[in-house]
Amino acid sequence: MKSIYSFTLFAALFAGVTASAQKPVPAKPQTKSILLMNGVAHIGNGTVIENSVIGFRNGKIELVADARTVRIDRTAWDTVADCAGKHLYPGLIAPNSTLGLTEVESVRATNDQYEVGGYNPHIRSLIAWNSDSKIIPTVRTNGVLMAQVTPRGGRITGTSSIMHLDGWNWEDAVHKADDGIHINWPSYIAYNWSENGPGGYERSKRYLDQRHELEQFFTEAKVYCALPSQPEKNLRFEGMRGVFNGTKAVYIHADYVKEITEAIAFAQKFGLKRMVIVGGADSWMCASQLKAASVPVMLNRLHSLPQTDGDDVNQSYKTPAQLLKAGVLFCLQNSGDQEAHGTRNLPFMAGTAAAWGLTKEEALMAVTLNSAKIMGIDSRCGSLEPGKDATLFVSDGDALDMRSNNVRAAWIQGRRLDLRNEQTEMAEKYQDKYGLKKKK
Amino acid sequence: MKQLFTAAVFLLTAMLAQAQVSTFPTNGAPNPNHNFTAFTNARIIVDAETVIDKGTLLIRDGFIVDAGPAVTIPAGTVVIDLQGKWIYPSFIDPYTTYGITRPKRAPHDPAPQYETARPGAYAWNDALKPDNDAYRHYTANAETAEAYRNLGFGTVMSYYPDGIARGTATCVTLNAEQGDNRSMLQDKVAACYSFNKGTSTQEYPGSLMGAIALMRQTYADAAWYNTLKAKTEYNHSLDAWIAIQTLPQIFETTDKWNVLRADKVGDEFGVQYIFKGSGNEYQRMDEMKATGASFILPLNFPAAFDVDDPFDARMIAYEDLKHWELAPLNPGAFEKYGIRFALTASDLEDKAEFMTNLRRAILFGLSEKMALRALTTIPAEMLGIADKAGTLRKGMLANFIITSGNVFAENTVIWENWVRGQKYVINDMSKIDIRGSYQLTVGNDAVRNLKITGSLMKMKGAIQNADSSKTPAMIDLAGNAITLVFTPKGVEGAYRLSGSVDAVTKSMTGSAQLPDGKWMNWTAKFTAAHEEKPQTPDTTNWYLPTLDDVIYPFASYGVTRNDTSMIDRLKRRYDAVLIKNVTVWTGAQGDTAMPDMDVYITEGRIVRIAKNIDAPKGAFALVIDGTGKHLTPGIIDEHSHIAVAGGVNEGTQASTAEVRIGDVINPDDVNIYRQLSGGVTAAQLLHGSANPIGGQSALVKLRWGSNAEQMKIAGAMGFIKFALGENVKQANWGEYFTIRFPQSRMGVEQVYFDHFTRAKEYQRQWEEWKKLSPKDREKMTPPRRDLEMETLVEILTQARFITCHSYVQSEINMLMQVADSMGFKVNTFTHILEGYKVADKMRKHGAGGSSFADWWAYKMEVMDAIPQNPAILFRMGIVVAVNSDDAEMARRLNQEAAKSIKYGDLTEEEALMMVTSNPAKLLHLDKHQGTIAVGMDADVVLWSDNPLSVYAKVEKTLIDGKVLYDSEEDARRRETMEKERARIIQKMMHEKENGAPTVKPRMKRMKVWDCEDLGTENDYLNDAE
Repeated sequence: MKSIYSFTLFAALFAGVTASAQKPVPAKPQTKSILLMNGVAHIGNGTVIENSVIGFRNGKIELVADARTVRIDRTAWDTVADCAGKHLYPGLIAPNSTLGLTEVESVRATNDQYEVGGYNPHIRSLIAWNSDSKIIPTVRTNGVLMAQVTPRGGRITGTSSIMHLDGWNWEDAVHKADDGIHINWPSYIAYNWSENGPGGYERSKRYLDQRHELEQFFTEAKVYCALPSQPEKNLRFEGMRGVFNGTKAVYIHADYVKEITEAIAFAQKFGLKRMVIVGGADSWMCASQLKAASVPVMLNRLHSLPQTDGDDVNQSYKTPAQLLKAGVLFCLQNSGDQEAHGTRNLPFMAGTAAAWGLTKEEALMAVTLNSAKIMGIDSRCGSLEPGKDATLFVSDGDALDMRSNNVRAAWIQGRRLDLRNEQTEMAEKYQDKYGLKKKK
Repeated sequence: MKQLFTAAVFLLTAMLAQAQVSTFPTNGAPNPNHNFTAFTNARIIVDAETVIDKGTLLIRDGFIVDAGPAVTIPAGTVVIDLQGKWIYPSFIDPYTTYGITRPKRAPHDPAPQYETARPGAYAWNDALKPDNDAYRHYTANAETAEAYRNLGFGTVMSYYPDGIARGTATCVTLNAEQGDNRSMLQDKVAACYSFNKGTSTQEYPGSLMGAIALMRQTYADAAWYNTLKAKTEYNHSLDAWIAIQTLPQIFETTDKWNVLRADKVGDEFGVQYIFKGSGNEYQRMDEMKATGASFILPLNFPAAFDVDDPFDARMIAYEDLKHWELAPLNPGAFEKYGIRFALTASDLEDKAEFMTNLRRAILFGLSEKMALRALTTIPAEMLGIADKAGTLRKGMLANFIITSGNVFAENTVIWENWVRGQKYVINDMSKIDIRGSYQLTVGNDAVRNLKITGSLMKMKGAIQNADSSKTPAMIDLAGNAITLVFTPKGVEGAYRLSGSVDAVTKSMTGSAQLPDGKWMNWTAKFTAAHEEKPQTPDTTNWYLPTLDDVIYPFASYGVTRNDTSMIDRLKRRYDAVLIKNVTVWTGAQGDTAMPDMDVYITEGRIVRIAKNIDAPKGAFALVIDGTGKHLTPGIIDEHSHIAVAGGVNEGTQASTAEVRIGDVINPDDVNIYRQLSGGVTAAQLLHGSANPIGGQSALVKLRWGSNAEQMKIAGAMGFIKFALGENVKQANWGEYFTIRFPQSRMGVEQVYFDHFTRAKEYQRQWEEWKKLSPKDREKMTPPRRDLEMETLVEILTQARFITCHSYVQSEINMLMQVADSMGFKVNTFTHILEGYKVADKMRKHGAGGSSFADWWAYKMEVMDAIPQNPAILFRMGIVVAVNSDDAEMARRLNQEAAKSIKYGDLTEEEALMMVTSNPAKLLHLDKHQGTIAVGMDADVVLWSDNPLSVYAKVEKTLIDGKVLYDSEEDARRRETMEKERARIIQKMMHEKENGAPTVKPRMKRMKVWDCEDLGTENDYLNDAE
């Protein structure tokens, strides 16, 4: 009896949002407190509560407990929903993403992730962030609720910001503005043209020059930033102030093992307080150095071919387990071809990591709490813990497996999201046309 | 009688002398010289089989008059005593560009050039230059000639290195100083071809398969042109093409697989090429033998890599390390297989490496006899000059070398190289061998011991000091004059000695100036001769590889034929595999997964599926425990671009139906192995999407280790790629690509109408031709064979099916309408991301779909793509597959299919159909593949978990009942590879320590193609400078 009552309640909750005939509109602030009961709660910190109670109010998580061990006063909550058989997760976080900066890859007019000029620490990604991007709702539908929006191109590509994937505009949606600058580490291996015969990929002839140039920029910027103000402002150097006072992280994008170790040495030389390796395809080869220097890694797209023909065919699948074993803090990200719309596959990359050596909860950490820790937002995000933002979702089953990732409800800071998107609308339209049964 | 004969020879040579009158006027008095020259007491190597231990070679006027143990020396003969020296016929290089200035390519113009830029009544394509005769470009070059002569060459073939059909090569001798007229031996000796379009800036061909198609069409055109009763067009190129067919046909290749590709073209048109090899043929000797061809082989053995840094060394591909070690096996492998071959110094950046590398090849198994044949008689036969050069017989050109001994031995010196009776000194034959021990007395100093060692051309001296330590002495010998410099121990400054050597006693005498400027007399008394130690390479602790070390395929994860896994596999070929207690997913419509089943496989097919099967007694069965595991049909990728060489798009014309991916399969692509690790067993290798009518597909099984032909699925139907939308209208190709028709979807429709209208006309012409009686045919010209039209007719006759790249509904509709009106069917719309909008129409037409699971937003025409598309098409009753178009994603196609469970409510079994039985249906392979059922090919995959789950891993992939991927074997292969890499790296280190030159590590970046890739790897079709 109880289950029927409760199930109805969950369904009602679900129906409440879909009633709107509009395309997904930004959600309204949480006014009513919500208690989700009996679901399998994947906390995001490596633990699971098989039969959980999770309550949130005014956008914050207030209660996380085991239903079998605590007494719950249901009357203290405006809405109580039974989530028996369902799975609860903290919202997944997509680091190093171009979501909202690009719409149609091949159409230049829709691309805002590239800027000219090699050294652009002063440019800021968030102001180009399109809260009305058609891609964003399709990503939320799979449980990805936050993203670090990151520019591309050049040596210092610019400054990233961390966004909630819901909002009327960028000002509204920003979680942490200007969280760090991004550096594309000079390529150690590059195509060298040859006078006789075909060229080839070899140690880059320009590597040292490019490295010196980067060091020179950092040296000058550091001296500049040592004074609180300068008679003539240099916007590029001004953009570096946070780097030297520790308020901005430095994200160094590097894949080849030597580039990674070089980046570690670079960070030490300039006393960078928070340096993160982004990509790190070869990070498994220098895990002990990363561990020793306490440098975390935002791993490159897990669904990638190995770096060399001879590498383990499944190397990129295995790297997370190797880093975990070595004690390196890491998270997953999805940069590369077709990166923006492909962000929705982030949970499945965690699934792959689980297939190849992580536990499912460790794999979940790599797209939630670890990501938050690395970006310095873990006090408010990344796990289902009291005091944190109520950014979470409910899935029919295991959200890391495409067979069972069916997100039924999702909240960002307690705001209930409309999970429809243009694609679900289009599917419905044509299913109607053909008289096909709608998706349940 | 004998005297009479000799007299006849004299008469003949006298006539020859008369014949050497020149049309050229001389400045000043001419300098005729008809003296004989006799080389006596020499060891004469007449040819590889005939040696005269001590004989005489008699020459006159540039020809050999006689060679034998007892040759009568006529009056008027210059006699040269060659006691202790050897005479060889000089070498013939059958593949050079000597005397030819390399053509230059016009500066790069970003705008495409679709039509010929060559003025004159020549072929439509600028890469066809059969009318280009190298002899018209030849001019003797003293410097290059000397470099070749120094290696022992006297005669070379020269070709003009430009284009796919390169015209004729010429044959010249290396007496450059005697001018162009007197150094040309034969104007046309061979016709030359390659797959390299050279200086042509015309778009077509833009790929290797295009180059192959161009050759095939040109053979067909030439045959047709030859039958024309009245020429409708004048075509100098075809005239030349036809004329040069009687010459030896030499095809230059850049890879072992290109040999097979060219040979296939040759077979089709009745041409047997001589192949100019690239040096990696040893990797596939059985296939080389099967061509029945002769080869011209380079000795371009790669230099060792600098492997000091282990991280950098990791970037070197396994095959590059292996090739470094095995390359010197190449010539010996040809000898072993009984394949006729010649050697060439081409492809060597430093020609001086020729002899070093030849000696290495001999060390690696080439016999000296064969080496000599490959440098003399065989190239002479290949070039049709065997009556002129290659042996030291009467009447042949006086082309020979004089050496200090066996020409292939390490310390042998080539003294002189005679070209057409003209002497060229390479090393001074009169040099006195002063190597030995001496007692040296300078002034009043105590007697010192002097030792002179080293090679004859580079002698080294050493003085023994009183305390028996040694001091080096510099020696310079010119004629009889000797200079000796040394600094005795305990003396400040050098002793400088000048003097003279007695040629017979080798004793020396002269004057010395001491460090203080004082002059003294000195003598050196010869006491003992130098003992030359035979120099053999130090091969202790050095592994000499053999052909058994070749890996198949020649790539990472390739293994030797002696590898245990290979032996097992061969042994098991006709034996059985029994998979026990496994959950079977049949892949067939309506079936659900069946737990605890046994599957029995033999002779490559599934023979029984039941519970509790016992292996028949006496049969060797590999029993695989499937408890807790899942068995599915092998995954079939409807849309793949792996394992393709030289470009995936021809794309240089609106229609390139004549090109075939099947011509350019690359069996060495490691992505084949990677995809086996994801359970893929078969794939359609598709042409790209750059033009409305693309090229023909290849349907392959991923038979890792096999060659291209073995990978192809026997009996598979023909397929062809069509494409619509942005790519074919060149929407994203940049501002220069706005010329080619079509530039809009409106134009695309008309491309099809135009081509199929013409195809029907073509079909009609041939049908009428076939109806004619032989007698009538004789009076008429047959229709021109057109490879493009021929392919389109196959579509009309349902001998070939279309896979059409498509996105938006308007164009999908359009193609179905064109097809309906022209009388053909669209078999498959691939990508078909807006298929859900026209599913009803597709069903009516009978088209299938092959879709991405969830791709979108990468270009304008995919903005309405939805991940529910495959499921909607499926539920509308359309045969729908989920494909990759991506080398990485292809190994997770099970997961891509599973997305339709999430997005489209399909059952797990339905989802699996989209990567097994449905692609099999789309590819018309479903009689043998795509489901697990009795009688089907045993292409199956064993999974660790539910195959639709993200957690499922492939444990075994079987093709034709053979385990081609095994997750445990995978680890073992990697271990073997690591050990082998480490061994070769240590060997390289060793060679570097011994002073061998090294090159920087070079990383291999295999091109991973997708639909939209244009061009080729490293632009190798255009490597002319």
